[in-house]
Amino acid sequence: MHAALGRSSETAEGLAAPSLPASPEPALDVPTPVPLEAGGATTWAPVRRAVFARTRPSRKTNVVVRLDTRTPEDTANIVVVLGRARDAAGRVWLHVRLPVLPNDRTGWVPRDALGGYGVVHTRLVVDLEQLTATLLRGRRPVFQARIGVGKPAWPTPKGQFYIRNRLTTYASSFYGPLAFGTSARSPTLTDWPDGGFIGIHGTSQPELLPGRVSHGCIRMRNEDILELGRRMPIGTPVTIR
Amino acid sequence: MQGDLTLQELDRDGAIHEAFDGVNSRASFLRNAVIGSGALLGVLAAPRESDAASPSDNAILNFALTLEYLQAAFYTETERAHAIGAELARVPRQLGSVERAHVFALRKVLGRAAVKRPSFDFKGVTEDQVKFLKTAVAFEDLGAAAYKGQATRVDSPALLAAAVAIHSVEARHAAWMRYLAGFTPAGRAFDEPKKELEVRRIVASTHFIAARPRTTRRRKPRFTG
Repeated sequence: MHAALGRSSETAEGLAAPSLPASPEPALDVPTPVPLEAGGATTWAPVRRAVFARTRPSRKTNVVVRLDTRTPEDTANIVVVLGRARDAAGRVWLHVRLPVLPNDRTGWVPRDALGGYGVVHTRLVVDLEQLTATLLRGRRPVFQARIGVGKPAWPTPKGQFYIRNRLTTYASSFYGPLAFGTSARSPTLTDWPDGGFIGIHGTSQPELLPGRVSHGCIRMRNEDILELGRRMPIGTPVTIR
Repeated sequence: MQGDLTLQELDRDGAIHEAFDGVNSRASFLRNAVIGSGALLGVLAAPRESDAASPSDNAILNFALTLEYLQAAFYTETERAHAIGAELARVPRQLGSVERAHVFALRKVLGRAAVKRPSFDFKGVTEDQVKFLKTAVAFEDLGAAAYKGQATRVDSPALLAAAVAIHSVEARHAAWMRYLAGFTPAGRAFDEPKKELEVRRIVASTHFIAARPRTTRRRKPRFTG
């Protein structure tokens, strides 16, 4: 609208003096368009129906593992999405990281076997030499703690993993007040109940930290795991190096 | 093609899952809502009051916010997936950035009264160019009709001015998406509004608003320790 048309004291060319009241200012302060947060995003999705993960994006290729909809902890089973492709019939397949032995395996599943996507912008880096766990948001460290890791006989596995669940409110001081389940599995304790998954949790023996003290799990002081619990969402990728 | 496209018509090739069988039936809508997603009822429930606006205006703003969440999530997921052709890549980038701005603005004015962002499952629509475009047409038409349907109910002139400012943007989006999809961008002299219940029925019937996957449990770990 021409500016003159909104002012009652002026007469626009060719028009009588305006008699309408001025319009109210909009109540919303709409910002400029908001671009996506650059880089560092990881996508994950729950397994909606039991499905075979395969070596390539095709039903005709070998099975890597069967993915169920639930974890041993009875939470939704999630996978981290690494990429996508279409098969000859135009069907979308997703390349996903798998919670299986040997560690660091990936496979392909049909898109329709997974549910809606979740996105995280965090990444946890576990340094087995420095005995530290560092949470990054983008490239910026937002949390760091000294940790306990596996003894030489039961080493914490190296590789690329992800956080897949969170357990709370249990009666076990051994694990501290909070435990995260990861997709990493002990390469040595293969007969451990529920598959020998590596957890990240608190401890009843903080005096042992930092050190190589566990059966493969990553331990930290209870105040540290609680702080990590406030900052680290499910689906966060985990690098153990 | 004329300008009276409906979501039902857009779903002929299955672009929108579980589309619109019987959406005109209230009984069917309720049945779908209960079976399809428990979370949906919570998302579309009456909002809490805030101090900033009348209860009625807050309800309208939260209704708008839910639609903006839906649109913003749809374009954002499409942009992240990089699964549609390069010739359309700027569409989710541009529209996503605008819908996120709408979400930001509505959340800001609602403050603590703002409804939470729901969880979405677009069922692969964001990874298929044809389905993406048809769904974008449907969403933008729906958004424009929904804002129009509520405009006369807004108490605050300032909020009405804001709603109209957003409504015209949604209408521009609708015309752009219609053009890209091969439909007439603006074939009518008058557009019909959609009532709240009708909009809710349509959104519910897509099943795009999904229950959040349960990833937390109260139980003792059996990790290796």
